[in-house]
Amino acid sequence: MDPSQQIREKAKELLTSGAVQCVIGYERATDGVTARPLFAYEVEDVDRFIFDQTCSHNLTRYLLDKRDKDTAVVAKPCDSRAINLLLNEKQIQRERVFVIGVACQGVVETEWNHVTERLQTRCELCRQHTPVIYDFLVGEAPEEEPPSQAYPDVSQIEARPIAERRSLWEGHFSRCIRCYACRQVCPGCYCTECFVEQLDPLWAGIRIAPPENEIWHTIRAFHLAGRCIGCNECERVCPVNIPLSLLNRKLEKEVDQLFGFQAGLSAEALPPFATFEKEEILE
Amino acid sequence: MMAQFISKKDLLAWLEKLIQERTLIAPARTNDLLLFQLISRVDDIVLNSNTELSPKECFFPATETLFTVRTNEGHTELVAETVDRETVIFGLRPCDAMGIALIDRPFLAEPADTLYGQHRARTILVGLACSQPKGECFCTSLGGGPDDATHLDILLTEVEDGYIVQAVTERGKEILPPVAERELPLPPTPSLEAIPTEGLPEVMKRFFEAPYWSRLADRCLHCNICAYVCPTCYCFDVRDYSTKGTVERVRSWESCQSPGFTRIAGGYDPRPTKGARLRQRFYHKFLYFPEQFGALGCVGCGRCIRACPVNIDIREIISDIQRMGAKGGA
Repeated sequence: MDPSQQIREKAKELLTSGAVQCVIGYERATDGVTARPLFAYEVEDVDRFIFDQTCSHNLTRYLLDKRDKDTAVVAKPCDSRAINLLLNEKQIQRERVFVIGVACQGVVETEWNHVTERLQTRCELCRQHTPVIYDFLVGEAPEEEPPSQAYPDVSQIEARPIAERRSLWEGHFSRCIRCYACRQVCPGCYCTECFVEQLDPLWAGIRIAPPENEIWHTIRAFHLAGRCIGCNECERVCPVNIPLSLLNRKLEKEVDQLFGFQAGLSAEALPPFATFEKEEILE
Repeated sequence: MMAQFISKKDLLAWLEKLIQERTLIAPARTNDLLLFQLISRVDDIVLNSNTELSPKECFFPATETLFTVRTNEGHTELVAETVDRETVIFGLRPCDAMGIALIDRPFLAEPADTLYGQHRARTILVGLACSQPKGECFCTSLGGGPDDATHLDILLTEVEDGYIVQAVTERGKEILPPVAERELPLPPTPSLEAIPTEGLPEVMKRFFEAPYWSRLADRCLHCNICAYVCPTCYCFDVRDYSTKGTVERVRSWESCQSPGFTRIAGGYDPRPTKGARLRQRFYHKFLYFPEQFGALGCVGCGRCIRACPVNIDIREIISDIQRMGAKGGA
């Protein structure tokens, strides 16, 4: 059965039985070709659900708005790691979330009113084709492939001289308009009050200007070290094309090398920055 | 019809001259983005599409210093910022010119915003008619049009080998390029999808409490993209920055979508939910702005539709509200 139909039937069953109050999945956007999130509360809504290679959004972000409701969510393998992250950080309750996991071959590059056949870069590198956590699996898990070197672009930048790296990021940050779409879309960014909005002490200030923008992106990247699950939503939503995944994957690489840890693979593993062992000495 | 014609070659020469005499701002590419930028080479100008961000930042910059207070040996001095440069914005579209005319109303109503007024007084708008509007453009439903010259100083319309030049205002005539009279018809106006905006403020009044808004807000991320790409969103925040002996008052873009935008001393927030914040955006555009300033607060440029990461589509919202209105209720 095609994945869209499987999701519709599961959603219908969950809403009819009252197991959940809302099912979060995808529907076609108003351009007729890309996807957008759909929140289905009524059985009549379920026929709008779709799943295909345009379904890029990480919908697990929305679970944070539904903490006190029984909710089902459609999750690709990368997105499913965010569910483990949120469980691990005690932000959501397992018994309140029904995970409709989707086996995934990768999603394609899209922009408004335009769908390409080109896989997103992160999907080309991805070897996780089955969700790490699910209650119901849509589609069939493809054969697992051997892991690949996941950081070719990060290594490329690491190899450049420091002055060159500095001017590269100054250029990117100078375009930032501080719309905070990167934060708002991120399942790991759920602080009740973000540091950029704190007035006392004033960490960053309101100026939409290079020094403040740099503080914003640097602190956010560090706050996500060992927590970013690599869904790349921040980069997808950025209206001024800042390659944020480079920052996040640089830190992901560091954390993996130092602690052998990747965020969101399990709900139980102690994250490196939430634990301290007496024997632990960092070189 | 007799028209004023300029060849592409003469237009380039005129732009070269403008670069020497004034500050020239026009659409140019940077990192795959088309933005209004300071132009130092005419070759950098790109005219085949509208920009990702609106030209409002030429009058209402993302961040600007309003004034500085300096204390020196017991003497305190307030230094107001002023705008000195004479600017020409080249290649803006009729919808964006209308956007500037709309934010003139709040900024220039008494007491007028001094810096905004100075930017405005020292800037000439040279527009370009849209020959191929995008699918999500709907300026004609908001009183504008792809070749509407109303809010510009000069309007150019592309024809074979050059442009038809219409000088709209006296300021436009001052910098008018060398033109030749030619027997040339204006190209036909492209037609656009009609969005039902008629009577919208009255209908909006009936649906303030509708659950529609909280359901729509489910999907909304509450980032500020829509407000920042919008030619008519004009909210800002003001903060004082002090260093030893100096206080600088700074204003930066802000948006009603931000959590905490309306939070007041003591922590109370009159718009505490996602639904209330999303609703504010559309009530400001389609009810409060018309009530205060006599026009809908949208020009139909389609930027928010293209830029929204979760497809909050302002056309769909207008149509939904009108449908709810037609059905009765609320």
